[in-house]
Amino acid sequence: MSHSRVVGAVEIGTSKVAVLLGEIVGESGLNIIGHSASSSKGVKKGVITDLNLASDCVHAAIMAAEKNAQSRIDEVYLAQTGSHLIGSFNVGTTNVSSPDGVIRSIDIEAAKADAKRRKLPGERTYIHHIQNPFSVDDHPVENPLSREGRRLKVGYWSVHGDSDMVSDSLRVIRGIDLDVSDMIISSIASGAVLLEDSEKENGALVIDMGGGTTDYVLYRKGYIVKTGVVPVGGDHITNDLSIGLRVGRKSAEEFKLRDGRAYYEAEDKDTKVWARGDLSIGDREYPLSAITKIIEARVSEVFDIIKDELEADDLLEPMDIASGVILTGGSSRLRGIDVAAKKSLGLESTISEGSADVSDELRQPEYSTVLGLLHYALTGQEAAQEAAAKPNSLFRKISGLLNI
Amino acid sequence: MSEEPQSLFNQSTGAADLKIKIIGVGGAGTNAVDGLKLDDLGDVRLAAINTDAQALNNSPIAEKLVIGRSVTRGLGAGGEVDIGKAAAEADRDAIARLIADTDLIILIVGLGGGTGSAAVSVVAEVAAKTDALVLAFATLPFSFEGSRRKRIAEESIGELRQLVHGLIPLPNDVLLQEGEEDTSVLNAFAVADRWIGRGVNSLCAMLLKTGLINQDFGSLRSVFHDRGGKTIFGTGTASGPEYVKNALDDLFICPLLHMGDRPSQLDRIIVNVIGGADLGIAKVNEIMSIVSKRFGSREDLIFGAVIDEARRESLEICILGKADMEAAPVADPEVAIQKKATLEGGLGLETEISKEDKPPRPVHSSKLSSKQKPVEANQDEFMFIDIDAQRGYFDKTDRNEHNGEDLDVPTYMRRGVKIKIK
Repeated sequence: MSHSRVVGAVEIGTSKVAVLLGEIVGESGLNIIGHSASSSKGVKKGVITDLNLASDCVHAAIMAAEKNAQSRIDEVYLAQTGSHLIGSFNVGTTNVSSPDGVIRSIDIEAAKADAKRRKLPGERTYIHHIQNPFSVDDHPVENPLSREGRRLKVGYWSVHGDSDMVSDSLRVIRGIDLDVSDMIISSIASGAVLLEDSEKENGALVIDMGGGTTDYVLYRKGYIVKTGVVPVGGDHITNDLSIGLRVGRKSAEEFKLRDGRAYYEAEDKDTKVWARGDLSIGDREYPLSAITKIIEARVSEVFDIIKDELEADDLLEPMDIASGVILTGGSSRLRGIDVAAKKSLGLESTISEGSADVSDELRQPEYSTVLGLLHYALTGQEAAQEAAAKPNSLFRKISGLLNI
Repeated sequence: MSEEPQSLFNQSTGAADLKIKIIGVGGAGTNAVDGLKLDDLGDVRLAAINTDAQALNNSPIAEKLVIGRSVTRGLGAGGEVDIGKAAAEADRDAIARLIADTDLIILIVGLGGGTGSAAVSVVAEVAAKTDALVLAFATLPFSFEGSRRKRIAEESIGELRQLVHGLIPLPNDVLLQEGEEDTSVLNAFAVADRWIGRGVNSLCAMLLKTGLINQDFGSLRSVFHDRGGKTIFGTGTASGPEYVKNALDDLFICPLLHMGDRPSQLDRIIVNVIGGADLGIAKVNEIMSIVSKRFGSREDLIFGAVIDEARRESLEICILGKADMEAAPVADPEVAIQKKATLEGGLGLETEISKEDKPPRPVHSSKLSSKQKPVEANQDEFMFIDIDAQRGYFDKTDRNEHNGEDLDVPTYMRRGVKIKIK
């Protein structure tokens, strides 16, 4: 039997730190051998605000998962989110070099290099260059090698982040002497595990609404054409309820989980809900409409922002997103979130039931991202991202941030 | 500070000599003063300052001052802060005459426009050179009025806070919540005026009327002895058989007491209640103990109770609290003015101040410890000082700007969605 390695998939989320341990056996075997999810501290809107606090939580979560697995992590795959992540679509072009017009690998490399030529200012770091289809003389082709043409083009969806914030996440993991093998943005990780190949082909929008951020990835014709982060999540819903109902955060959270719905209905006006419902002193009743109106305003705004961002790039074509919206993340538990998504985005929306390949517990929306990380650890991100094929080129750059 | 002995004297004579002037600055400020319905408080003088001569002409206010005729030819500032500023600067002397010989100046202004936002700090500067106690009620524009007006208002707030003894910001977004379900925009503007009216009325009644517990100008001055810092304001009102309990409930859910940027600690609080003849001393004691439990220890609380014969089974509670700045207060108005001149962008200043207000201060050790130990849910319900419970939750994070809006501010508030919680 070939050697096995234990991969730790870690997501430092705003409300939870999720860790999965996967044992990768041989070329394509993966056993999930341990997991843990514990509440997160020192993280807001997907970004570490208190390094010490966050480190303690992450270390505790990793140890819990290792204990659960009775095994030690060899390498870490880390998720990254936050509004500092910015994506852009860059097109690289080259004139086919050989006189007979047959495209050689040197041309392909030139086109790729041209797409990635944009240098970033020092405080920014590339996290992904995600390849999109080639085209030869403006006709899309899957593989341009040996084709004939004059001009070769290739598009890349490139995502870069704030160097300090990226290195903060790395520092947390390095703090317990673990190596980060790769960093993958949360939306791409979630999308990888929740979508079938056919859905990617038909076009699908995965929206992962977590505690502090809402991450999305749009697949079109099998390719990732756009990713984005809206720095708003379940925390905002709780905060809005706390201010609007004038109750403490704890009560607001209870209202959200117990009575919350992502859209308002006229009947809510006449429905009363109790703050605690235990007949204790100081308990008050509220019209359900107060809760649903506050949540509706917030949730629809998030979907509207995503809609605007997609429309700005002419990407919100229902024909090209035939598989519709797939919702995941902790906040996808909010009642009626699919209805709200459909209302704003005009696309069929479903709440993900999780990957069918894993146990019930791991099918919870909180685990989507870390499952996606393991998926990448296993497949080596072959098609979607080139960095993994040459881990030394791109990823060293991120890791290098720590060694300065 | 010649008022000190004078006001002590006033206490015994029913404050007959206390000179109060309420000044509306700019269009919105003038409208608010126009609409003031003060309960029978004869001696309070009303005044208005504006660049727009025609708007002033239509106002029933007795004392009117058109500023900057040489700058605007009496035509208003057209939303331009520079014009409003120049207009007020041009008529500093007239402003000084308008506010001369006054003990308490209450400025009312709607921020975001040209005249109010700029002229009010000039008026406050001039007032700061007198001995008068200066309080200001400033409404902040609705989100739907756009980010430009919001920015102007924030800059103005930053300046004004340094110059007056007590600045009460009233965000229209928040106050809209108190209107009826179908409040039109025009009515929504009037909502703020009603709130200001309640505050001003309560203040004046406390100072000028005799009551169960008299509070004089000296007590008000003791609460607002320094310039700068943050002021909070809230009111609650109710009538009917359970008016005491209901007015307290109303006070505790007052939206102004539940805003994100309010200070985490209050140093001094003044509470005034206005009730009918049926409000006995026992009820007042009950109110006092509940209010002091919520808002601070009894030692820091100044309590007044006024009887209004016209009321029956009806109560209005008004609280004003002051949190001093962490840094040494700016006592000398000249220094404040110079300091103000060097300030760039009130927005940054706001954040600075609110951050500086947060660090533990030994004054209210009870409140500090209640944050650390797990609080019983009931306490948590209306905990006034609970950093984590409000927008302050996103305090340490970057501002969440999207198309000129701050996404950390509740969407319903920015969209003007009315939330009824009763």
